[in-house]
Amino acid sequence: KVGLTSYGQILTLSSQDIERLAKLSQGEVTGLKTAIAQQVLTHPLLTALDLQRGTKNCLQNLIIGKLSTGCKQIDDALRGGILSQGITEISGESASGKTQFCLQLCLTVQLPPEEGGLAAGAAYICTEDAFPSKRLSQMISYFRQRSEKRKQIPFGDNIFIEHVADLDSLNSCIHQKLPHLLSSGSVKLVIVDSVAAVFRCDYELKDMYKRSKHMASLAASLHRISSKYCLPIVCVNQVTDSMQSIGKKNIPALGLAWSNQITCRLSLSRTNREVDLPRIILKGSVIGGFPTSIRTLEVVFAPNLPNLSLMYVIDQEGIKALT
Amino acid sequence: MQSQRELCSFPIAPSHKSKLTSAGFLITEDLKHLKPSELSKETGIGLEECLEILKLVCSESVDGSKRNEAPKPAVSALERLKEEQSLPPIITFSEGLDNMLGGGVPLCKITEFCGAPGVGKTQMCMQIAVDVQIPSQFGGLQGEAVYIDTEGSFIVERLVDIAKATVDHCNEMARLEGFKEGEITVESVLSGVHFYRCHDYVELLATVHLLPEFIKKHPKIKVVLVDSVAFHFRHDFDDLSLRTRLLTTMAQSFIKRATEFKIAIVLTNQMTTKFSPGEDSRLVPALGESWGHASTIRVILYWEGQKRWAWLYKSPSKKESRVPYQITMGGVRDIVTSPADNSNDQSDDEPSSKRQKVS
Repeated sequence: KVGLTSYGQILTLSSQDIERLAKLSQGEVTGLKTAIAQQVLTHPLLTALDLQRGTKNCLQNLIIGKLSTGCKQIDDALRGGILSQGITEISGESASGKTQFCLQLCLTVQLPPEEGGLAAGAAYICTEDAFPSKRLSQMISYFRQRSEKRKQIPFGDNIFIEHVADLDSLNSCIHQKLPHLLSSGSVKLVIVDSVAAVFRCDYELKDMYKRSKHMASLAASLHRISSKYCLPIVCVNQVTDSMQSIGKKNIPALGLAWSNQITCRLSLSRTNREVDLPRIILKGSVIGGFPTSIRTLEVVFAPNLPNLSLMYVIDQEGIKALT
Repeated sequence: MQSQRELCSFPIAPSHKSKLTSAGFLITEDLKHLKPSELSKETGIGLEECLEILKLVCSESVDGSKRNEAPKPAVSALERLKEEQSLPPIITFSEGLDNMLGGGVPLCKITEFCGAPGVGKTQMCMQIAVDVQIPSQFGGLQGEAVYIDTEGSFIVERLVDIAKATVDHCNEMARLEGFKEGEITVESVLSGVHFYRCHDYVELLATVHLLPEFIKKHPKIKVVLVDSVAFHFRHDFDDLSLRTRLLTTMAQSFIKRATEFKIAIVLTNQMTTKFSPGEDSRLVPALGESWGHASTIRVILYWEGQKRWAWLYKSPSKKESRVPYQITMGGVRDIVTSPADNSNDQSDDEPSSKRQKVS
């Protein structure tokens, strides 16, 4: 009646203001706030034990699982794979394998849960070059060969690709197009390749404050989607030159403003070393048989992992740890 | 509690009661701040009668309402000191950190940990949530924790790692001192951490509002952790004065709960870059200057080369100091240095020692 329409408004206004506006007494306002607070909460307080067991009043949305990366050793190092909620960032120099990693996740997400997947497709938002369809086709044909069950899954049909050129179109994709796709449950992975491209131009030095705000807004929207639909978001980031004379030459782009928004940061890089991959024939297809760079995957930060690094290579099938 | 008592339960004349009800006065709290003349105007009851009613109602609830209005009787400094000393702090398992804080994370105060991503704020919170549960025979508080997660970084398997290490440590101590083992188990630790996930600042405000009720139902709670306070307040807030007001109100609410229930409040905060004209940019805790006054104790966690450091930036009783620490599988620990290690510490090339190589 007095214009207080949202729960948020009531909880944010001071009690005295509400008393004055709605002509309620102090006791009534406290009671009102308490009732609203209880409505606002999305779940009752649980214990960590409830979360671990996935029992009782535990909403399924709160249980954070893992999405397999497609390589068992990498999964073991990551304690199962990437987190199935929150924003996982993959940063690295160009040609380090970031897009490869993303393509691989587009396939593993379609596997059933018992094989480390989320039994649904992926939404791939491209902001840079054209989507590598040919490479995806090649990876799909290798991926299917690994088991009979996999041959049943129409991997290509479940990957939805969208090209956006700038922040505005990215935001409208996330706020308008994505929800349609996500509410049907057919997508359980959202990839933004890359976030860096959207923020690295279009902002002059004096606009840095605005840039931080836009980044925070974008991240908040992505987190909202992640929690609401219970799925992982993967953002690809580029690297920039480090100003430090010691330590690494490159650091992830977009600064602290972006780092504060993500749940986990993985970093891919190429080393100077090469290895000759042994040639194997699997069900008529060739795997390996050429020299390739050794690359490193590093966990820069993650809430459940130490700072580890491991070596991997990229072959016809995709990314796999170096044995 | 007293202020919620219904007016009809008082010995007031029925005609007055009905006038009070139709004017909207239902419980004691409704009459708290009224003058007899105001009450008379609102209800149409005579002035003398209003005076009587207010006297009757307010004297009954002198314990409840007076607590919020009149100042508490003065407590001597000695009494305060005795009170503080009788409340043990929550230890963190890093002796260096505990010494720096004066024993550990203190009760009745707000301790804030600020740091860049990856430095260990969430790990610190999980460590504290486990350590508050250490049984009293080992010098612990034997309490429970409320963990409010705003970022989605509370991963149960990590809490299990830390719980396991603490349980092993306690069982070891029990063995050495002849106590019974198994007083504390991983399961009991997990069940002692009450968890809430906030998806936006409204949910956070709601949770803070409902805290007192929850703590009363679970009196073993000795710490409330919020990881992080900054996350939802740093975007979509065009009105910074609203943000400041909300943060201040929240801080006041926290300090009230801390002293009322004799619990520790632990908050984590992010870092932001501050550009001052004529100076180099530097990292400062987020949420602005006014938020800086909210916490009693502020610890800034930062990297120096490959080492993590904790810097006691603000404390009412301890002097400013820094200690190095590390995060292991089992949680937050001291850095164990031997003479041989010191020579390696100076080298700053390829950070291979920081990285655990997985082959």
